[in-house]
Amino acid sequence: MNASNAPNRYELFVLDEGEKPVEVTEDTKIPNAATIKVVKQDHTLANMIRGQLHAMPQVLFAGYKVPHPLQPYFLVKIQTDGTITPTAALEQACTKLIGTLSSLEAKFKREFSFKDVEGVTTEDAYGSSTAGPAWTSRRDYMDF
Amino acid sequence: MQVNDLLEANVRIRDLKKDRVNFVLENVDLSFANSLRRVMMADIPTVAIDMVEFETNTTALPDEFIAHRLGMIPLVSANCDEAIRYSRDCTCLESCQNCSIELVLNVACNENRTMEINSNHLDVVARGGYGWREEVDDGEEIARRSENFGHPVGKSDPSAPPILICKIRKGQELRVRCIAKKGIAKEHAKWSPCSAVSFEYDPHNRLRHTTYWHETDIKKEWPLSANAEEEEPQRDDELFDYNAQPQKFYLEVETDGSLGPQEVVMKGLTELQTKLANLVLGLKSDPNELDALGGDGGAHLPPANGTATAQAAPRAASAAAAGWGQGQEAASGPGWGGTAGTPGVGDRSGSNSGWGTSPPAGGGTAWGGSSASAGPGASPSAGGWGANATSSAWGAAGSGWGTGSPARNTGWSSPTSQQQTQSGWNV
Repeated sequence: MNASNAPNRYELFVLDEGEKPVEVTEDTKIPNAATIKVVKQDHTLANMIRGQLHAMPQVLFAGYKVPHPLQPYFLVKIQTDGTITPTAALEQACTKLIGTLSSLEAKFKREFSFKDVEGVTTEDAYGSSTAGPAWTSRRDYMDF
Repeated sequence: MQVNDLLEANVRIRDLKKDRVNFVLENVDLSFANSLRRVMMADIPTVAIDMVEFETNTTALPDEFIAHRLGMIPLVSANCDEAIRYSRDCTCLESCQNCSIELVLNVACNENRTMEINSNHLDVVARGGYGWREEVDDGEEIARRSENFGHPVGKSDPSAPPILICKIRKGQELRVRCIAKKGIAKEHAKWSPCSAVSFEYDPHNRLRHTTYWHETDIKKEWPLSANAEEEEPQRDDELFDYNAQPQKFYLEVETDGSLGPQEVVMKGLTELQTKLANLVLGLKSDPNELDALGGDGGAHLPPANGTATAQAAPRAASAAAAGWGQGQEAASGPGWGGTAGTPGVGDRSGSNSGWGTSPPAGGGTAWGGSSASAGPGASPSAGGWGANATSSAWGAAGSGWGTGSPARNTGWSSPTSQQQTQSGWNV
């Protein structure tokens, strides 16, 4: 069916069989530093992690790069002050982000349910188009 | 950033319509808000026509042209996670009722006038249509589909104008069979549930993340956006606070109808959590952390372990794609199973070839090299690593709207006084 020898496009974001999602390389020259390679992920994950790492006082350095746009992986380099390993710092950052996301999810859910109560249909997103162009300030919003 | 840490992330939905939601995200980091935007645009699965078989095409447009147009038509994809499989995960050879939706288009013009073929002419084939194909048992997915799953968006709605596919005249005919599959927009933009996502912060440009071109007066020549009333304007005598961080983000997510705006946002948040959780899981099952492969490793580890011993050597030898990274690093070395966490220096220098494959021209050595001069804080090679630019690819053009945040941060957001900021690393 696929006549060309082009690789499957999904290989850019799906792990191969047996492929490991992360690989940690400890730095040999810098103390408490490591480079972590995360495969099949892009700026979406990398930049978010980097931002969270910057908010941690134990982290002296955190940066990421996607070495080549055609190769679907990124590297995060982390240096800590020694009270915590770079891997643990990354893990903490991820856990923190998951926490933020789930609290945000709950808030979104609440906000959406408000809108449902106020009579805006969201279930049928494919129905009649009464959709006006822009949002109308906060007229129908009730903050409690 | 520290400030963001103290306050809890908050959201306020300003408006919710059938196809769009407008909300304000507060007390989150710029990178966080941007990741949410990116994930909603590129990582949420929908269904779209992926294969088209032409039986007759006597229209003015060539087959490829029509196939492309068909692919771009949004199809109702509600509950896509459960209602359909990815073809790559399916047991069938090519496509079956569990991993695809079949649609037909059969239009001929017999009158002496121009006729329009539009998305409403697409009909989903009831499941009987699979008779000629391999027999596959129904999966649990089928029961989870809504009645109009896979139908073109707006087909049941007379007030929604259909999407024009082609215009034909008397005697012309178009007869095609389409297979719609599940996918994400990272593979092809036709799978994106969003038709537009607007993203704005700092409408008064207090942070000076953008520079306005102007003739004489910026304020006269650049009208403020509608979001400007949410924030205090900058006083004329106010000094520039170079430590300030963006706090409020104004987003509007507009969908193409394949998914509702609520589903897009909620799935986006879930998808981000999944990504992070997989990373944590991967870290925990890393051999550097755990000497023995305990049961901790999760579902994917045991098979990995089984294949590892068999595959490590040939892979390293053929310098194939990363695969078992450690094996590659130490040439024909011990693979990932090495006990100590730190690879020896000799191994490191051997790994240079591994690094060398990745950077674009000019990327050269960078910090991975074993050159003696690379002390702590030495700046990595300048050129080649400029990955920043890629992040703006997703952002809509236009100043301040959706351009990638990484580029913006460089230079002033480093948490410490380390001298490593200007090096192409997105610190």
